Amino acid sequence: MRVLVNLAVCQGHARCEDLCPEVFATDPVEGKCVIEQPEFPPELEAKVRLAVRNCPEGALRIAAGETS
Amino acid sequence: MTLLWQPSAPDHVPAELMVDFDFFHVPAGVSDPTEIWHDLVRRGVPRIFYTPRNGGHWVFLNYADIAEAYRNYQIFSTYQTPIPPMEPFPVVVPQGVDPPEHDVFRQLLAPMFTPFAVRRMTEGLQHRAEKLISGFKTDGQCDFVADYASKFPTSTFLDLFGLPEERLPEFLRLAHVFFRSTDPEIRAANFAEIYAELEAMFREKERNPGNDMASTIVNARDANGNQHRWIDILNCGFLLFVAGLDTVTNTMAYVWRYLAATPAARAHFRERLDDPAAFLLAVEELMRVTAVSNLFRRVTHDCEFRGVKFKRNDRLILSNTLANRDPAVFERPDEIDLDRKVNNHLTFGVGPHRCIGSHLAKREIMISLQEWLKQIPEFEMAPAQDELSVFAGAVMGFESLKLVW
Repeated sequence: MRVLVNLAVCQGHARCEDLCPEVFATDPVEGKCVIEQPEFPPELEAKVRLAVRNCPEGALRIAAGETS
Repeated sequence: MTLLWQPSAPDHVPAELMVDFDFFHVPAGVSDPTEIWHDLVRRGVPRIFYTPRNGGHWVFLNYADIAEAYRNYQIFSTYQTPIPPMEPFPVVVPQGVDPPEHDVFRQLLAPMFTPFAVRRMTEGLQHRAEKLISGFKTDGQCDFVADYASKFPTSTFLDLFGLPEERLPEFLRLAHVFFRSTDPEIRAANFAEIYAELEAMFREKERNPGNDMASTIVNARDANGNQHRWIDILNCGFLLFVAGLDTVTNTMAYVWRYLAATPAARAHFRERLDDPAAFLLAVEELMRVTAVSNLFRRVTHDCEFRGVKFKRNDRLILSNTLANRDPAVFERPDEIDLDRKVNNHLTFGVGPHRCIGSHLAKREIMISLQEWLKQIPEFEMAPAQDELSVFAGAVMGFESLKLVW
């Protein structure tokens, strides 16, 4: 599974980084979301989903079934 | 003072949307000022209503409408918004201007407030918290607001701006008058004094730059390689001085007041002192239920929003505490659940003006709580509290909070 961020919508709340640092980080200049592991392993799915649901801007989405 | 924008007469407001509500007024016997907002919901007032008080303004009750107003700066501007109207009001960049103008100072400030930047402040914050707490720990009591919650963010401001800690009493006094005085003459003198301090600080940092925010702001260059306008530099300094003090102070007061009355919550945090992720999750719930800020917006043009007619220059209040208790968004909204998993609260706003200091504020509160619980694991409210200490307005909170242990 793959997680995507819309950087035009992200405002740098960093809730994703707080909730799932294995997959999400923030850049040191703007503080916006950086997805370090877009194709995350199944064991992280619950945490990634939680991060997606907690984004106050709705900037994250999971593209189910997509592979690279 | 001449009003540049006359408050619009409410002839466009239908009678059924008129509600008498004064957001400064806390009725006798109300011990939690956020309750004046939740009372509106209990009274069943319209989800969008207009009150003639304080110069007249709209109030939105729902999360969805509040979030949309935050995002839609084309209609709901942050430019010249005080309620009651006070004009001319300093244009505090970047908060007081809309995109794209907003982006210039936002981009200048952003690197200083990212999670990356704030993580590097951790040790300094821990040291400050430890020192303050150990100063009164053996007394077995304190006025939490005076002895900790005002001092901590103000001394953090001094540190970030490269000012010596000896100036703390002066800045505490400036901040206290600014936030609590209602006397126009005292306010005007206080305003002038704050700006004189900022002027002196930026001039000094221009000559002798250090590794601090004031130096970064005053020595930054715009797209043409010039220093930013001096008035913008001053107003930006003013914004950073006022925005991070009263908000953090009163959020802390709310948090400690809740913990003092709730042994299970104290235990919850103590048990998670070695688990920062779980500790932070619980802090996030405290952020949801202790949203102390009410934000102002001004309508940019005559328009209709959610079926309601708005006129240019209408004022609007966005109350985060209302958004954060909306049952359409939060399960069991009135319950404090320190394990709450889905919690996209609006305490720091959303959209382009999302509170730039949110990561610093959260870290200040989290570190304060960790250091406090290590040194004072058990505490409660003192039997005698000053009932007059509650206040409402743009920021809601408590003048004092007496704790014992």
